[in-house]
Amino acid sequence: MTTTPKTPRSRLDPDPVPRRDWLGLASLWTTGAALLFGLAGMLKLPKAAVLASPSKKFRVALPETLPAGEPFLPPGRAVAIFKDAEGAYAISTICTHLGCVVKPHAEGFECPCHGSRFAASGEVAKGPAPRPLPWLKVSLSGGVVTVDEGTEVPHGTKVAS
Amino acid sequence: MKKNKCLLLLSSAAVLLLLVWAAVEENFLKEWRRIQAEGRGEEGPVAVQLRQVVNPHLGKADRCVSCHVSMGPGEQGVAGAKILVPHRAVVHDPAEYGCTVCHGGQGQATEKADAHGDVPFWPEPMLPKEMSEAGCGTCHVPLDVPGQAQLQAAARAFERLDCYACHRVDGKGGTVRPDQGGMEGPDLSRAGLAGFDRDWYAKHLGKANSAATGPWKTFRPVSESDLAQVALFLRTRMAAPRLVAAKSTFLSAGCLGCHKVSGVGGDDGPELTLAGFKDPGQVSFEQVPGPRRMKNWMAEHFRAPASVVVGSQMPPAPLAENEIEQLTLYTLSLRRKELRDIYLPKDRIRAVKFGEREFASDGATLYGAFCAGCHGQDGQGRRLPGLVSFPSLANPDFLAIAPDSLLTRTVEQGRPGRRMPGWLKADGLRPEEIQAVVAHVRSLGGGTLPPSDPRPARWVAGDAALGRRIFESACAGCHGPQGKGGEGPALNNQVLQESATDSFLVETISRGRRGTAMAGFEEPSPVRPALSRADIESVVAYLRSLPGGKS
Amino acid sequence: MTPVASGPEKKDALQEFKNSLKAAPRHVLETAFRTGPPTTDRTRSTFVFGNVFLHLHAVRTHLWSLRWSATMGLGIMSVSAFLIALVTGVMLMFYYKPFPDAAYLSMKDIHFVVPTGRLIRNLHRWSANVMVIAVILHMARTFYTAAYRRPREYNWLIGIGLLVVTLGLSFTGYLLPWDQLAYWAITIGANIAQSPREVTDALNLTEHFDPGGLQRLLLLGSDQVGEEALIRFYLLHVMILPLAIAALMAVHFWRIRKDGGLVRPADADEQLARQRRDETYPVFTEAPVKTYHLAAIVRGRTANVGRGPENTVPSMPHLFYAELGVLMVTLLVCLALSLLSDAPLKELANPNVPENPAKAPWYFLGLQEMVSFSAFIGGIGVPVIVLLGLALIPYLDRETEGTGKWFGGPGGWPLVRLSLAFGLAAPILLEAFAIRFGWLREWFPHIPQLIVTAINPATILTAVYALYSLWSIRRYQSVRAGALALFTCFLCGFVVLTVIGTYFRGPNWEFYWSPADWPKH
Repeated sequence: MTTTPKTPRSRLDPDPVPRRDWLGLASLWTTGAALLFGLAGMLKLPKAAVLASPSKKFRVALPETLPAGEPFLPPGRAVAIFKDAEGAYAISTICTHLGCVVKPHAEGFECPCHGSRFAASGEVAKGPAPRPLPWLKVSLSGGVVTVDEGTEVPHGTKVAS
Repeated sequence: MKKNKCLLLLSSAAVLLLLVWAAVEENFLKEWRRIQAEGRGEEGPVAVQLRQVVNPHLGKADRCVSCHVSMGPGEQGVAGAKILVPHRAVVHDPAEYGCTVCHGGQGQATEKADAHGDVPFWPEPMLPKEMSEAGCGTCHVPLDVPGQAQLQAAARAFERLDCYACHRVDGKGGTVRPDQGGMEGPDLSRAGLAGFDRDWYAKHLGKANSAATGPWKTFRPVSESDLAQVALFLRTRMAAPRLVAAKSTFLSAGCLGCHKVSGVGGDDGPELTLAGFKDPGQVSFEQVPGPRRMKNWMAEHFRAPASVVVGSQMPPAPLAENEIEQLTLYTLSLRRKELRDIYLPKDRIRAVKFGEREFASDGATLYGAFCAGCHGQDGQGRRLPGLVSFPSLANPDFLAIAPDSLLTRTVEQGRPGRRMPGWLKADGLRPEEIQAVVAHVRSLGGGTLPPSDPRPARWVAGDAALGRRIFESACAGCHGPQGKGGEGPALNNQVLQESATDSFLVETISRGRRGTAMAGFEEPSPVRPALSRADIESVVAYLRSLPGGKS
Repeated sequence: MTPVASGPEKKDALQEFKNSLKAAPRHVLETAFRTGPPTTDRTRSTFVFGNVFLHLHAVRTHLWSLRWSATMGLGIMSVSAFLIALVTGVMLMFYYKPFPDAAYLSMKDIHFVVPTGRLIRNLHRWSANVMVIAVILHMARTFYTAAYRRPREYNWLIGIGLLVVTLGLSFTGYLLPWDQLAYWAITIGANIAQSPREVTDALNLTEHFDPGGLQRLLLLGSDQVGEEALIRFYLLHVMILPLAIAALMAVHFWRIRKDGGLVRPADADEQLARQRRDETYPVFTEAPVKTYHLAAIVRGRTANVGRGPENTVPSMPHLFYAELGVLMVTLLVCLALSLLSDAPLKELANPNVPENPAKAPWYFLGLQEMVSFSAFIGGIGVPVIVLLGLALIPYLDRETEGTGKWFGGPGGWPLVRLSLAFGLAAPILLEAFAIRFGWLREWFPHIPQLIVTAINPATILTAVYALYSLWSIRRYQSVRAGALALFTCFLCGFVVLTVIGTYFRGPNWEFYWSPADWPKH
């Protein structure tokens, strides 16, 4: 290193160790490589290969008497399911801002965490949310709706049975 | 110094080498990676990654779908090697239920031998493919299942009435198609679980009467007995025909006489309620031919119990090979697990919460399940090496003189001290079931009741001392001194003494029992003179004087 | 933005900012490593004592300490194994769930789906085993080179503490997989903790004074091995015992320096002089540039007191090559074993189906063998006697002959050889007798428990060893000779009993020539 001041040779500092100590350098570099390789492997460990969360797809029976435009909130899932004359559709109730669960109310949804508001169609009406609430893929058979939380569909996609 | 550097160089080079090998092994050589690399989805090759089906309610996280990719959630389009193909259509979607809840095996594993459970220390290996219906037993309890003969008769009736023309049951029938001017009735494979219309017959008749042409015209009236057979057949449909057939074989082989299932049965053998969970690591395969599979162990155990399990008292089952296979399947299906309420099937609720019997309660089934093991399928009795022979119940000489009360008392209380247990107990039979069994035993002998006996239960007034001398010379050889029993039944048994009337004893001694060692003493034989009526009565008087013993 | 009049000062400051920014990485490095590359003896020294991790070492190391035969690297091997276990253990904690059944499932996850999980767990398991072996061998080396003597007596005590904590770490880790092996081994371990009841019961004291029950309760937190026990073992394994071992290790290492470095024979310098190499340089031949006023208050020795400094070399790099080499060898051994053999995982723990035989970790199988005669003597009595005996060695052996030499002292290698023969023969004969003819209880079924507790193969073996050791003291008129005899005997007894417990005991702790003969039930 350039900044190291050249100390004057004295009997306290006899011959410097030969700089080209090939064996020593090779052993040190191999050790470093081995340890680094091991460390890199080990750092893979915390990244879980499988997630313990259950399937994103779920089935739920819609109440017969669900009024058009009223949300049906299946327990344990952050999804609001609607049914009207054109068919059934599902809107995710996870706020696109920071992931709080939004609450449906008369004009749409509102987020309790940072005040984002969404229209009934999921469009952002107010607040920090960057994107509208996604619509989720649904399929209908009889009174049973299958919702796939993992697949988004374009807004306005309604599925008739 | 140089030595140390060399040591460091060599050891670290070796460490690096081993680490590289471990990395290659883990990232490139895993079986599931190779399999997934061959998979082609609708949008090109599938992502190579570990997959799993998670069902927190069933406590399952099955990685089977890492190799059987198409059986996983949202992967239906994967094509390629056979291992990648989708599951056949079933009611329980593997993408929801996972795999091991039905098939067994080790769901956490990602390597074939481990996953299929053929490794030490995994007590629950996969069920063999041909016995996969045993997996239904994890949650389901086949209810209303009758004995083999009745089930087969019901199946034959269903076929004879040509129900298969319109209805599909267990993958069979239902071929009259609408496009051919015909129609197809509903699939009845799960009628036992889903229920069926009790008024189906009236509705069928109505449609048949109002139809002008077409397949409805072919519907013919059905007799009362056939209606019962059809109902029995439908009640036992749970989309697992092999399991139901296996259970009916189990219920005909008399197993419950010694073993308990779900707390009902005899006390002589081990309880079988969870026999399907038997750990292959905990049993000896020394005497079992073939691979180390529980299937083989159980089959061999049914053929020769004492050679497979040292010290086993169980008699070999006098069964055909296919019946042994059925018993194996049923035993493997005894693997009930605790379930969350939302996964409790109807049959299990009926059995566990409403206390319904897990077997049909008609006399023939009950006899087959509880009595046939010792007294024989047709009541012919059984003689087993090393055991006192079990009496024949169908013997006409016996049934001709034994009143129902004697049979009922005997079934209820057994013969204390002998092998015959009393069945009127909490984990045994209910009174009405015992009546059904007695009626069945009666029917084994043609169903005729003994002539009614006007005399009281105890009317004999003979000379007990004389009776004793006669007994000792003529009877003690088989029945033992003081009637304690030997080759022949014990006569001092309390329950026998209480339930047998004097008339029954006198008649038995007089006429004997054909087909057994018991001769009729009314007739002379080459080795002894005939006994007079008075002699016989004195023997009975002597019998009545015996101190009631337990053995 | 308002334009600012651009003066030369402003421009310079901006330029300076840019230069500083460019030089920042270099400055960071310079401030981290102040002394520059360690190319001369002086910079090497400052490299060592200027580094918080390295300054545990003396800046110079005696050549004798660097000879392979001096230590065989066993101490460093123990630390290395501990470090491997520490790192892999921390990694395992990402996935391990200390709750019954969930623990077992998380082991399965680690084995099958966690990236590198299987290797990490195998490394953890093997490094723990290597550590136990290395610690025992390290103790044997220390003993046989008489390194425990003045001034290192206290460090010997710390070492015994480290041995106990090492075994404790291994044992507590044994329960965590929550499989059959773990469950039943811990059940047995907990009952050994309860075994003082064997004596208190016999004396009818248990009602009033029940140390056994208390020990078991403290260990399990309940009356059986369950979730409370698991969380306690987990706490001990990942927190309490590692902290304890870290503290003890710190004292142990510090003491090495304070006790004058590693032990060496009195004539080490003369011996080395005969094989002098050019690698060493004379130092301290002129007045030191630093004052050593600290030395005035430090009692005891420093590495150089009374020694010619000529036989020392700078620790950097000589000692560090050796230490790094041992670390990598240890890693290599653990890694090779991990790739060859997976850590065991049996069936899920089942309190209703006892594992048969339920074997503890191998290093406790010697205890388990003694326990099969008397739980109290085998599990607590003899181990306490052995530990006490070990702890007393440096305080009873006040001799100086043979310090720093292998098998040094009166008797020497011939005595050790004789002790090996005796130490191996005695337990083999005793065990053979007990296996062939049974023991007191088989002969007199109604014999009082106290007699069985007092007279059994474990106590007889201990007594025989003690008598043999007394005989050695008398014969050689030396306490060191007695210590050599006794230590060798106990080492042999440990090996013999461990081998019998590991390989020759089957279901119901019956003797079998091979596991192939075990009956299947």
